Amino acid sequence: MKQPKILLLVVIALLPLTLVSCISGSAQLAKGWAGTAVHEGIIYVGTVDGRVVAINSSTGNLEWSYSIAPGTAPSSGLSCGPTSAPAAIYDTPVVDRDIVYIGTYSGQVLALNTSARSARGEDLPLQTRYGEWKWDCPIDNAKSNAIVADLLVSEDAIYVSSSNGRVYSLDKEFGDLNWESKILDEKYGKLWTSPVIQGDTLYVSTFDGHIYALSLETGELLNWSFESEAGFASSPVIYEDTIFLGSFDRYLYAVKIGSDVPLWKFPEEKPAGNWFWASPIVNEGIVYTGCLDGKLYAIEAKTGEKLWEFDAGNSIVSSPVLLDNLLIVTDESGTVYVFDLSAELGDEAVPLKTISIGAAVRSSFCAQEGLVYIRGEDKQLYVVDIEKGEVSQLISLTIEE
Amino acid sequence: MIEVWNLIIGNPVLNVLIALSHLLSGSFGLAIIALTIIVRLISWPLTKRQFKSSKALQDMQPKIQELQKKYGKNKQKLQEEMMKLYKEAGVNPLGCLWPMLIQLPIWIALYQAIMRALATTPENLLDLAQRLYSWDIVNQAIPLSSKFLWLDLGQPDPYFILAIIVGGTMWVQQKMTQAPAVDPRQQSTSRMMLLMMPLMFGFLTLMFPSGLALYWAVSNIIGIITQYFFTGGWGYLKFRSPFQSTQ
Repeated sequence: MKQPKILLLVVIALLPLTLVSCISGSAQLAKGWAGTAVHEGIIYVGTVDGRVVAINSSTGNLEWSYSIAPGTAPSSGLSCGPTSAPAAIYDTPVVDRDIVYIGTYSGQVLALNTSARSARGEDLPLQTRYGEWKWDCPIDNAKSNAIVADLLVSEDAIYVSSSNGRVYSLDKEFGDLNWESKILDEKYGKLWTSPVIQGDTLYVSTFDGHIYALSLETGELLNWSFESEAGFASSPVIYEDTIFLGSFDRYLYAVKIGSDVPLWKFPEEKPAGNWFWASPIVNEGIVYTGCLDGKLYAIEAKTGEKLWEFDAGNSIVSSPVLLDNLLIVTDESGTVYVFDLSAELGDEAVPLKTISIGAAVRSSFCAQEGLVYIRGEDKQLYVVDIEKGEVSQLISLTIEE
Repeated sequence: MIEVWNLIIGNPVLNVLIALSHLLSGSFGLAIIALTIIVRLISWPLTKRQFKSSKALQDMQPKIQELQKKYGKNKQKLQEEMMKLYKEAGVNPLGCLWPMLIQLPIWIALYQAIMRALATTPENLLDLAQRLYSWDIVNQAIPLSSKFLWLDLGQPDPYFILAIIVGGTMWVQQKMTQAPAVDPRQQSTSRMMLLMMPLMFGFLTLMFPSGLALYWAVSNIIGIITQYFFTGGWGYLKFRSPFQSTQ
């Protein structure tokens, strides 16, 4: 009689394991946090239901949308087999003339003709006659082909970092492959950071702590590379031959191109409270960088000396944005901080304005003509009027609502 | 509730696992093996009690068989007498279950830790930042490589090798401790139990990340080794029939 009891106990014991696996498994889903881009009065953004949408910034009307084919969510745990999931988008769209370029987590790069789509207003399939194209990133040795990092669009090419560890160069007009690099991150296999161009060289940072220099023409590795003990979390930014980027060891690195040792590491003594996840921005010799420990720092680009800091109290996930003399930063809680860079900010900066949008923010955002366009994690698109300090909800970014 | 769980079990297991990974040349697989050894060391007092119970049950077999012969037809009386015998010997027949139940929170925490540490999606990676302690050893280990031998520790083993190892070692371990029943009806239940658990865990191995299955496999192997040395042999693994030994 004891054995059936034991059996029952074992089944009861395994039940929570099964439940937890299913719950945690669903948390593994990639949902995306595409940022906003604004061009000629139209806001472009990727949605969590797998669409690229164009929204009129004045009226909040949907100009057009393009639905991306659903991706497949990985299975995990008992009874949680592979499921169909909306194509996640982490990329901020890039607008160049009439074309919007965007990469997707399902491994596609899309070029969509915005003026032709605005004229039709429908959710059309891809139209080659409008000069639109789609490129599918190869699945390399069963590695994911997901595109997480923002695309880099130059005069005649598009550069794509893929989760399979390679960088691809595509022809901007037709989406043909120009070249593919070797696998740059053998250890982790994925490139989730965007490349950056300086002259005829492409610089790429990796999770295994390297900065590589690639030929813009051929994708071949050039002689110089930089190696750090810790992996790089953020995409590199170049200012006056120096690369600035955040690391998982909770330092911001400044690396002079061609040098084997960092120009400086910030903070100088003990590391910051968390990772420098978002890319810094550099303006007039000053590096502005947010940290996941909730602090915003202004650092002298040449020396690494801290000029001022501000504690937002919540993680700063997205990069700061400049709007004339104003520095705009959001934290994860959805509070927008505005700093007047023309004013004396002291050691502990005080924001000119603090505006709450009332929703969490993880996406990058854009600003134009006194307005900031932010995609909230609540699937709403918000407009913040900096001068008035007002927030308005422009449009819901889900079809259901 | 979830926050309390993360504070007490989830985050400590995650950080220890990542720290171990850094100490073991960045190998997440070796970190899981090291954590398994640590868990087995911590749960040694319980395991020791389990072994003692198992040994006592083994020693009691002749008396149990006697009772079964004597009260074979009176089930209630047999149960009463057997319970009395267990009580006199200070043995809990369900005692062997406790180490497994105690390990359950570790399994759950380990499963979560593996999925969180390997951060397969950008959301997971960002979420990981909020769970890490400020230890340098932890932050220098991030991100982690999921490769170990032929395995991707965040995914089930595609070659079924780990499933066979987990199922096989579990069968051996159970066979070493499970006393063979004399009653023919109990024999069939006993045989089913002996097969069901290894099959179930073999099946779970096909479903869960191989990092968790690695924990099961190593834990079973440690169990077999310690049991072999503690009880001085293979226990019931070599047991043939209770009738053969009494005849």
